[in-house]
Amino acid sequence: MEPVIETFESRKKHMCVKGEGISIPVCDKASLPGTVTQRTCVFGGARIVLMPITDSIHLVHGPIGCAACTWDIRGSKSSREDLYKKGCSTDLQEKDIVFGGEKKLFETVLELYNIYKPGAIFVYATCVSGVIGDDIKAVCKKAEDLTRCKVIPVQSEGFQNHNKTKGHWIGGDALLDYVIGTKEPEETTPFDINIVGEFNVAGDLWGIKPLLEEMGVNIISAISGDSHADEIAQAHRAKLNIVQCQKSSNYVARKMEKKYGIPFIKVNFFGLEQTTNSLREIADFFGDQEMIQRTEKIIERGLKGVEDETREYRKRLEGKTVALYVGGNKAWSLVRAFEELGMNVMMSGTKNGIKEDYERIKEVVQDGTIIVDDANSTELARLLKKYRPNLLISGAKEKYISLKLSIPFCDFNHDRISAFAGFKGFVSFAKEVDASVSSPVFNLASKTLSKVSKTPSNLGGDENAS
Amino acid sequence: MHHDKKFAVVNPSKMCQPMGALQALLGVKNTMPLIHGSQGCSTYMRFQLIRHFREPIEVASTSMNEKTVIYGGEFNLMKALKNITEKQSPDMIMVTSSCLTETIGDDMAGIIEKFKDANRDKELPVIIPVSTPSYVESHVEGYDRTIKALVEHLATLSVPNGKINIITGNLSPADCKQVKDLLCQLNCDSIILTDTSENLDAPLTEETLSLYSEGTSIDEIEDTANSLGTISLSKHTDSAAVFLEKKFGVKSISGPLPLGFENTDQLVTSVCELGDLEIPQSVEKDRGRLLDAMVDAHSYNFHRKVAIFGDPDFVSGITRFTAELGMIPSVVCTGTESKRFIEDVKLISKEKGINPLVLAGGDLFDMHQAIKKAGADILIGNAYGASTAKEENIPLLRVGFPIFDRLGAQRISMLGYNGGIEFVDKITNTLLDFYYDEAGYEIVDEEIEEIVGEEGDEGFEEDFMAKEEI
Repeated sequence: MEPVIETFESRKKHMCVKGEGISIPVCDKASLPGTVTQRTCVFGGARIVLMPITDSIHLVHGPIGCAACTWDIRGSKSSREDLYKKGCSTDLQEKDIVFGGEKKLFETVLELYNIYKPGAIFVYATCVSGVIGDDIKAVCKKAEDLTRCKVIPVQSEGFQNHNKTKGHWIGGDALLDYVIGTKEPEETTPFDINIVGEFNVAGDLWGIKPLLEEMGVNIISAISGDSHADEIAQAHRAKLNIVQCQKSSNYVARKMEKKYGIPFIKVNFFGLEQTTNSLREIADFFGDQEMIQRTEKIIERGLKGVEDETREYRKRLEGKTVALYVGGNKAWSLVRAFEELGMNVMMSGTKNGIKEDYERIKEVVQDGTIIVDDANSTELARLLKKYRPNLLISGAKEKYISLKLSIPFCDFNHDRISAFAGFKGFVSFAKEVDASVSSPVFNLASKTLSKVSKTPSNLGGDENAS
Repeated sequence: MHHDKKFAVVNPSKMCQPMGALQALLGVKNTMPLIHGSQGCSTYMRFQLIRHFREPIEVASTSMNEKTVIYGGEFNLMKALKNITEKQSPDMIMVTSSCLTETIGDDMAGIIEKFKDANRDKELPVIIPVSTPSYVESHVEGYDRTIKALVEHLATLSVPNGKINIITGNLSPADCKQVKDLLCQLNCDSIILTDTSENLDAPLTEETLSLYSEGTSIDEIEDTANSLGTISLSKHTDSAAVFLEKKFGVKSISGPLPLGFENTDQLVTSVCELGDLEIPQSVEKDRGRLLDAMVDAHSYNFHRKVAIFGDPDFVSGITRFTAELGMIPSVVCTGTESKRFIEDVKLISKEKGINPLVLAGGDLFDMHQAIKKAGADILIGNAYGASTAKEENIPLLRVGFPIFDRLGAQRISMLGYNGGIEFVDKITNTLLDFYYDEAGYEIVDEEIEEIVGEEGDEGFEEDFMAKEEI
């Protein structure tokens, strides 16, 4: 079989085409040293899961770089505190590396507690604090005893694994071991739920929450978007967990099911069909007739007008192609939403996918779709050059690779600016996709001046669209 | 709210050494930077660089993981060198260490030699290691060490070239271009270490996608040994100049960053003396235009208090420049612990009769406390200053690195006479936008009067908030 693009021998099987022989790429392997990987580290994985907890201090125990490059990058919105946006570090120095950083960590935690009186302090281990063997668990315990504030160790040494999914689990473990179940709710209802794996990027949670509240469910906590540590502490009393980002958070939901007997259902609020399905599933779970009726009304009202509001966008987007290269969940959860805009997903890939993720991608994409695992920047550029989709969906690191090739781009990661979840979110989503795909600036590209002066009719042509 | 804070860093105003190494390397032609460490190091640094410059940034990683940490990074580093050599064919690979590989004690130079030995039959790129442990100093020193490593490995004595070496320090591509334009006006042949002006502000074409195709070449770096002299625009990045002076007798001049009227005069004088050059009429004219801009603007910015943060030479340069305008620098902060910075600000303070609170090794929390104490009408620094500016209800003039919440970071220029003109306009228009109404009249309310009211010329108080040793 013809390889998808030219690359290293060992990388060839990380790309495949659905319907042609193998339909799941080789995945979950260490990246090749010397390539420009788009992956992050285990520390990064843990941090993005926990960082949206807004009333907490997120303290990075390591040299300054780990904190300096990762603070306030989550794009998670808050309706209350903004403590989570602070970049806190123990700023380990050479002598700490030699003599150990535990004392400095302890003092730092106390200082931060005294200044901010936070809901909790999460302490993240980094590569170097792991290598020098600082016992952050013991330090956290000691600081917690003294302050009576939750001080939570997150054992997230960056080098632990090539896959940041491990970091998501470690972040989840910190919640399971030190937060969830530590406080009883004042009152409970038969319809208590947690929203798991919703990080309120660009305010997505706020597109979902009103719908759920109107249905009549009671949200104990969101894990972890726009949340307080105290709310997550009560999460064990929920009757149901709904899981939005199934890449990062199935782990937490599964463990809560095992430990507290809370069942979970996977939901998805990107796109109309998936939003309505998710709402119905939640209502069906509780089986309350009034709730089911209310839900139908919410759906009816939600869908009303969406078609009118998106018609103009859909007209321009019809038949255009999309490539997805994302962190995980979105590689399958967005496919249907694009189809609702009349677009075709021609490539989908993830940076940290495990077999389960690729099974789900395979399920939802059409035959002929390219599926890629852990493409480095050279491979990504080659894929884009060869297949020239009308749109790439990815994060900040991929953005300018795409734009330099005059391929329209939408950020669906931390830097996203509009909320896409729910009915209203779908309209914003259509608008933003259209703003990239239909922008005339891309028609001006790829022409040198000498070429233009020879064939002036080329200006404004749609060579790029072909 | 004020509490003692001795240990915690809250909102850092510095980054780590490997970041400084990258900032230096992105101006070297056909060079692949390789960070020997975990994937997160290269990815998160790329993330910062990408969202600032809005360009694709290529930095390879040795992708260390648990097993390689236990057994050492030799296998991963060898493999990385092989993969880069075969697939990217760069002219040079510069290997920078991270806190991880420094701590486990990888001998990068030894591993590189081993790689070269094993590939004697092949044509290899130049491979240079630089030690940049993240737990020592900051990105400023990482930049310095990298430029020094480049000349240490490459500079070779041959025939005098009549050129002047310019070590830029971490500049925006536009500022790098300002410096080049000024040298060009002065008819000065130069070697720029390193020239980021093209790579980090590249035109939209597919060719600019992979390796850095523009910038300072290896040949040029080799030739630095044969120059008339080296001028380090940043005093904190002069190690390579000192090395060239010691080893090859290339005269070294350290700073100042040509930011503002007097500092630019000093650079022009240094260049002309070193190169035995005449000052052309066009440079006199630009100088006159800067002066004209300063005079046009003076009534709007006079006695406005200004708080400044960023890299040390940048901050001291802006301190002098704003003082030249008649503004009052009230808080000056750099994340780097630097005696030279403190000396610089002391000197400026004495000359200009100002009395700022000085933080060397401070974070943005410390800076915010200082602003509460000393007051400020405007904050100058990178995008991370936005929340402080918002809380204090003052405008933020975005300069430095990183700027991710506005467009055009690569096009901000402040250096030389021409960049100075842009800066004077920008700072004055920012004040006009904030403190004046739509017709250009000052909005007078009690708060503003109170700030303008006080004035201090009691000499330089020893009120340093330089971070104590811990």
